[in-house]
Amino acid sequence: MYSIDVKTWHIAKKNIKEKLKNLGSMFWTVVFPIMMLLVYKLAFSEGDDNTMINGLTAFDVEFPGIVVYTIGMSSVTSAVMFAMSKVDGTLERIDSMPVSRGNVFLGAVISETLFMNLQLILVFGFGYGILGAHFELAMLPFGYLIAMIFGIGAIGLGLIIASFLNSPEGANGIAMLSHMTLMFVSGSFFPLDNAGVFFTPQYWVKQVYLQLTVVGDFFTDLMYSGSIILPTSEASIFPIWSGILIILAFTSTFIFLGVKIFQKKTTL
Amino acid sequence: MDVSIKEEAQIKYSDPNQFYDNKHSTNFIIEVQDLEKSFNGIKAVDGISLKIRKGELFSLLGPNGAGKSTTIRMLTTVLKPSNGNARIKDYSLIKEKDKIKPLIGVCPQENVVFKALTAEDNVEFVGHMHGMDPVDLKKRTNNLLEKMNIAGLKKSAKSFSGGMKRRLNLVMSLVHHPQILFLDEPTAGLDPQARRLVWDFIKELKNTGMTIILTTHDMVEADALSDHIAIMDHGKIIAFGTLEELKKDSKNGNILEFSFSSKKELIHAKNKLERINNIKKITTMENNKLIISFTGGVKTFKQEILHEIESFESLHFREDSLEDIFLKLTGRGLRN
Repeated sequence: MYSIDVKTWHIAKKNIKEKLKNLGSMFWTVVFPIMMLLVYKLAFSEGDDNTMINGLTAFDVEFPGIVVYTIGMSSVTSAVMFAMSKVDGTLERIDSMPVSRGNVFLGAVISETLFMNLQLILVFGFGYGILGAHFELAMLPFGYLIAMIFGIGAIGLGLIIASFLNSPEGANGIAMLSHMTLMFVSGSFFPLDNAGVFFTPQYWVKQVYLQLTVVGDFFTDLMYSGSIILPTSEASIFPIWSGILIILAFTSTFIFLGVKIFQKKTTL
Repeated sequence: MDVSIKEEAQIKYSDPNQFYDNKHSTNFIIEVQDLEKSFNGIKAVDGISLKIRKGELFSLLGPNGAGKSTTIRMLTTVLKPSNGNARIKDYSLIKEKDKIKPLIGVCPQENVVFKALTAEDNVEFVGHMHGMDPVDLKKRTNNLLEKMNIAGLKKSAKSFSGGMKRRLNLVMSLVHHPQILFLDEPTAGLDPQARRLVWDFIKELKNTGMTIILTTHDMVEADALSDHIAIMDHGKIIAFGTLEELKKDSKNGNILEFSFSSKKELIHAKNKLERINNIKKITTMENNKLIISFTGGVKTFKQEILHEIESFESLHFREDSLEDIFLKLTGRGLRN
């Protein structure tokens, strides 16, 4: 067999180089979230009317939504990357080399994850460090992990989209449409009083993240009687692990379906 | 066209295995048996059989849509055959793809490069995928890029000209020292100077003992480079051999090209030529031109023909070319 690790790393390195040179992608994945943070900060952080829970401003509560948006963009970038590799023949070129599709998928997950880390560092640094969003430091690593798990699921969603589209432009359009629709439907940008939010991974990521890093309940309490905030801003009966399980289920399903469908559609 | 010769060719090559066995007996690196590929019920490759010797340059010649690229894509493991199989260095194409991949290099028909990367990054990526030692890879990359006149470029491949991308494509296909190199239309879109550079490079590679399989619809290219040529049309191999063997098989004889200043002169000459015995075929071309294939000695024929026809613009004798052979076998030109 081939040396999977080294080849996978080289694929990841190649993907990152390609990504960094794509200015359009860099704008939507790095610059746009920072712009959104600025807009939220200016719109929601001043005045008594903007205080939502426990003295937190709307900006503090909406900050996790920006994290969800930023990480969810992986569905768009991975959809474009895989659709491009189908169209420009690079996937076929790689298929003729002693490399398995496992290397290709793993390389994509690694490059996207590394890039997500860069995004998170920028968003956290700007949001917490400069704009002063409220957070609980002790819970931050766990919140970071939740964001990463969601990001890997987003790569799976990108793979599903790329499987059905034969142009990177089409993949970009559909992935952007699905990501933005889910962002609004989930109430991640603005709270939405609708049961539909429960069917979106974005909602669960935002709420778990919010509980861990912003509201700052004790983790042991959250494990037994969590208070995930419902769309109506009331506390739910769900303990936090149910939300984590739902996020894991979404991620596993998207990755499983993404790999299966992409393989089926591109194996000639 | 001469239908009987076309049919004869197809019957002759319907069982090429027997033909090759009688002709060459040893040292085959590729053996293709009844390979077939269908897309939505349409056969792109229709049960071809081939044997290619180690170290030779083998050309698959045919018009667009003949099935050359599909054949190459199957032999390079990216396309699964609908039927049949091939053995590449004794490994089964169906069952042992993983053992075949390290042995081959592929230069696809399209310029398949990672556009955001530099030439060096592109080549090194391929080397890494083949598990090359990083120091050797660096040296080999620089050497090959220098040979192809694209070394030291810091810009990304998307800003390269078509010719530069083509040459980069070629370098990417052989950085890992493949034993078998598949070149799918390697000089398509290149200017004459770059084409000559690539030809010289291919000849150099051949001298190292590398087996090269080339597809082309350029007969000059096939003629200049090949040890053996297989002519493909409609998914089938309709002729196989060295250029000399193909010429001999086609039984075209010698060719005379006549140019006339007017249509009237051409018709007058054609009527007279039809009375000459050793003329096999007269073809009327555009621009008031006649192509005449004939048997027998050139000198005698020239005397005889000049006795009959006095008024013409130019005449030119030449040997039967690959294009004539192809025209005869398929009834159409390579670019049709």
